[in-house]
Amino acid sequence: MRTDHLGMGLGWRPQLADAIPRLRPALDWVEVVAEAIDPTRLPAPLKQLRAHGTPVVPHGVGLGLGDAARPDLARLAALAARAEALDAPLVSEHLAFVRAGGPLTGTPRMEAGHLLPVPRTRDALDVVCANIRLAQQFLPVPLALENIAACLAWPHEEFSEGRFLAEVAERTGVRLVVDVANLHTNHVNLGQDPVRTLAEIPPEAIAYVHIAGGVEEDGIWYDTHAHPVPPPVLDLLAELCARSVPPGILLERDADFPAAAELGAELAAVRAVLRGNGGHD
Amino acid sequence: MTDPLHRTRQRLARDQAALLAALVAGGPVPRGFDPERLDAQRRALLAKRADGVVRVAPELALILGREFPGLFRAYARTRPLAAGPRRDALDFVGHLLTTGVPRDPRRRDLLAAWQTVMRAVMGASPSRAPGAARGSRRPAAVRIFRFFASLRAAPRSAKGT
Repeated sequence: MRTDHLGMGLGWRPQLADAIPRLRPALDWVEVVAEAIDPTRLPAPLKQLRAHGTPVVPHGVGLGLGDAARPDLARLAALAARAEALDAPLVSEHLAFVRAGGPLTGTPRMEAGHLLPVPRTRDALDVVCANIRLAQQFLPVPLALENIAACLAWPHEEFSEGRFLAEVAERTGVRLVVDVANLHTNHVNLGQDPVRTLAEIPPEAIAYVHIAGGVEEDGIWYDTHAHPVPPPVLDLLAELCARSVPPGILLERDADFPAAAELGAELAAVRAVLRGNGGHD
Repeated sequence: MTDPLHRTRQRLARDQAALLAALVAGGPVPRGFDPERLDAQRRALLAKRADGVVRVAPELALILGREFPGLFRAYARTRPLAAGPRRDALDFVGHLLTTGVPRDPRRRDLLAAWQTVMRAVMGASPSRAPGAARGSRRPAAVRIFRFFASLRAAPRSAKGT
């Protein structure tokens, strides 16, 4: 299976299982939340997609490669089992920390329940890279890591987000999933410059791009994955594509699921930006 | 421990544990963080956690109605997420029943019934529910069903988040 080209994809959710087969041939691949599926009992619609040759990429949320501790082997094995069950060309996760405490601090373990930013320091860079190398040794296919959306920033950081991602990719050879909606979220909520981040990311490291909708209320951007993709996020995709066309783009929709026709139109709008003629006004 | 990064890991672990304690366990704001942004992150994690509970147990939002967000916030503030949302929902209800809120006896009765059902369901796996457990679950399940039927008769805002 080719790993260099994915094309236009959509996040597979049980609520979209009926719509997805009808979206072909405009849909080239899907991504599935790794923790949501049992590799020994794959959902029938996913099996059918695989039978038709549609690539399925497992996307993990709970590995915590940005945790201070070494990655948990059971969680790595679980991700590897999903990659094998789906015959996936690659797997993806997040550059984030998701739990803390435990033996390193001698305090009780705590789960964040979501993705939290890693401090962009030299210390954290060393730890993250060591964790990624361990994961790479363990996983049967290439690994790609996604930039996250955050509400807060660590004090005394030594790298910009783009420089940190570039360092991680250079040191470990890990691929990157660039989420342009997360870049927009961090722009609105934290004042980060998304164009600068894109300029700092090595284009050849990009495995694919995530794009999703959200909504702004009282000056805060909520990355809801429940709204259509708005113009500023499409603009960031265009900015990224102007530098280098990514091997794949994946649209994420997690709630308020629209009808297949509406999703098809949104996929077409994203594809138009990819082709360089996404002229929304 | 032969890990050459052990000390580096310990430093990072200390910083991450302090931040996470502030976010999910009522710990102090670590030095250098913007308290407002930390609060925004704390609320985002809490909303995500409440969403998880509503996803696996939508009936709790129905039973507690508009009180759900406040009660869940009070429960979660100093109790870090330990396992998945099912366990969280069960712990939340256990906390409500122990602390005596809400006071409304009808709601407390429904919460106790819900707890009985969920304990049986969670206790039944991996070996499927034996007949005895199923028998003891039925009255509670029936009461919850009747409660939903009564809500449908008098509709109002159901979602608690």
